[in-house]
Amino acid sequence: MRWSRVRAVAKKEMLELRRDPILLRVIRVLPVAMLLLFGYAVNFNLKHIPLALLDRADDRISRTLVRELEKDDKFEVVARAESEEELKRLIDRQQARVGLVVPAGLLERIRAGKGVRLRALVDGSDPTFAFQVQVGLQKAVGRLNARLVAARMLAGEAQPLPLALEPELLYNPEANTAAFMVPGIVGIILTQIAVILTGLAIVREKETRMLESLIATPVRPGELVVGKVLPYLVIAFADTLLVLWVGYVVFAVPMRGSLVLLLLLIFLFVLGSLAVGIVVSARARTQIQAIFGTLVYYLPSIFLSGLFFPIEGMPRVLQAVTYLIPLRYFLEAARGVMLRGVGLDVLYAPFAALVVFTALMLALATMSFRKRLL
Amino acid sequence: MSGDRTKVRAKGLERRFGHLLAVAGVSFEVYEGEVFGLLGPNGAGKTTLVRMLSGVLTPTTGDATVDGASVVREPERVKARIGYATQEASVYPFLTVRENLEFRAAMYLEGPPALDAVEDALARFDLGGVADRRAGELSGGWRQRLSLAQAVVHRPRVAFLDEPTTGLDPLARRAVWDLVYAEAARGMSALVTTHYMDEAERCHRVGLIYGGRRVALGTPQELKAAVAARYRFYRVPGADPADWRGRAGVVDAWQRGGAVRIVLEPDAPAPANATPEEPTMEDVFVLKIREEDAHALV
Ligand SMILES: Nc1ncnc2c1ncn2[C@@H]1O[C@H](COP(=O)(O)OP(=O)(O)O)[C@@H](O)[C@H]1O
Ligand SMILES: [Mg+2]
Repeated sequence: MRWSRVRAVAKKEMLELRRDPILLRVIRVLPVAMLLLFGYAVNFNLKHIPLALLDRADDRISRTLVRELEKDDKFEVVARAESEEELKRLIDRQQARVGLVVPAGLLERIRAGKGVRLRALVDGSDPTFAFQVQVGLQKAVGRLNARLVAARMLAGEAQPLPLALEPELLYNPEANTAAFMVPGIVGIILTQIAVILTGLAIVREKETRMLESLIATPVRPGELVVGKVLPYLVIAFADTLLVLWVGYVVFAVPMRGSLVLLLLLIFLFVLGSLAVGIVVSARARTQIQAIFGTLVYYLPSIFLSGLFFPIEGMPRVLQAVTYLIPLRYFLEAARGVMLRGVGLDVLYAPFAALVVFTALMLALATMSFRKRLL
Repeated sequence: MSGDRTKVRAKGLERRFGHLLAVAGVSFEVYEGEVFGLLGPNGAGKTTLVRMLSGVLTPTTGDATVDGASVVREPERVKARIGYATQEASVYPFLTVRENLEFRAAMYLEGPPALDAVEDALARFDLGGVADRRAGELSGGWRQRLSLAQAVVHRPRVAFLDEPTTGLDPLARRAVWDLVYAEAARGMSALVTTHYMDEAERCHRVGLIYGGRRVALGTPQELKAAVAARYRFYRVPGADPADWRGRAGVVDAWQRGGAVRIVLEPDAPAPANATPEEPTMEDVFVLKIREEDAHALV
């Protein structure tokens, strides 16, 4: 490895990048635009969830329940049904996402100290949504429970407390989805920037017919790969810091763990992703092919990383596949560092996996780069 | 092998692309300080041949040594010893002329020698005035000049220049040849491909390549003498070469200027008002190809 050649390749790449107006804009604008888009659009902190009510009791307690449900605008009672069939229909037509059945004689049964079961029909077609609905319902019911218990104790009726379940979200008590999402978004952006930029880096030389001149020189594949990767490493790193900063300012994403550890994590992940880009680039013939090639890597990464769909909910086979997805490890580690504030003692496994992945990809990148035509 | 004055030695180089035989068993040599022309029409196999000689394309069979290194067994050693200007001028458009040269020089040299090489190339190729212009803004002739300068910035012993003059105006073409000869005068061997017949006259020696085959080899004088021994050339007044074609003893006829040029079998009688002429490289080319095609039929 001769450094003067690596430096020359890196410098040339940087100059081209700096003077290519379109590429430059993409690098500057894309990450922040994506963060803002994701941060706001993928907002899991739902409000005004439309609820249909079948209130067979229609008494003081059921009215209190409605007030609890509508607290903080979490639910909105959009319809009152007369029968369970009607309730179902409302959900079928998506006029309501949840139907709640309050049985007749609610007040009497509670007075008599009997347990009451409230049936809730939740639209489960979107699991994340369904989960939010359930948490919201449990919170409302829990608050009502607490009030009922308090009232009965005041009345001097010493009775065993009905079990009150109060679900609580750990690490992210305000259910701030942005906080939860930002590490993942950083990962996605890094993957995209890194893989696409280097993905285009070599194929661009092919398309502009520069590659033939390049491979006719004594430059070594390793020198070319490192030289090509270096500028993008710097760029991706700068992009990451920018995204983290925006996440911190706009979405109040916490940074509970070690910043150094996070940067190390990002470095590893970016390097691995850049190498993936080189592998794609070395095989593609045109920039279009390279872009499709990177998508083949990028899309499964997003869907199988556990960012949008929990890995626990995937079929066995897919769960096994997720072990091949570096974004999965990045997410695990980034959430650990940023949200839970834990260190390497806890996160050694995802870190080790990323080290292996990055080393493999760099080796593969160097091997896929052949100094021959055809 | 510094004592060896043969800088390129191609031995039965052959390359197939699927069923297509792009280069068929070509052998020739290029000597120190020589400007060797590879003349052939489009699709003849010139680029394929040059690619094999540069170590970027593996021959299907055969081998070549370039400055003592085998293109099959040690292509990376070949690459360190040559300069290669690809058919399309390969310059980075967003980089300046100087930056382009610096980049190429850095692939071979490091430190002060690399910087000196760049300054030297700027001077030799008269690129000082445009050193800080972006390569993408240069005209075709200047871009070609830069492409040449890049190929020899590290002062290789051997340079492969693939169609350096294609698409240039006559003045720019002449400038390119002057530059090539200036490099050769310093001891560099140059293999230059072209499909312009007249350019073959500028080379020390010429290899004629057609359909992947080497159909003739020699100095321009030798090649012309060879056809002069086998054919006779005349100019006759008139404007209809078709009149002449197919007549007994007439090999070919075509319009040239205000007259028709005819090529006759050696023993055919000269027409009445015919003026004898010397053969040109174009004649060599046309007749060799005609012979080659005739061979292909039998
Ligand atoms: N990579 C390739 N794949 C398939 N055929 C090729 C390839 N390169 C060249 N050829 C074919 O080989 C023949 C010689 O091409 P080339 O060497 O480019 O000729 P020239 O440079 O003399 O114009 C042509 O018929 C061309 O189509
Ligand atoms: Mg060609």
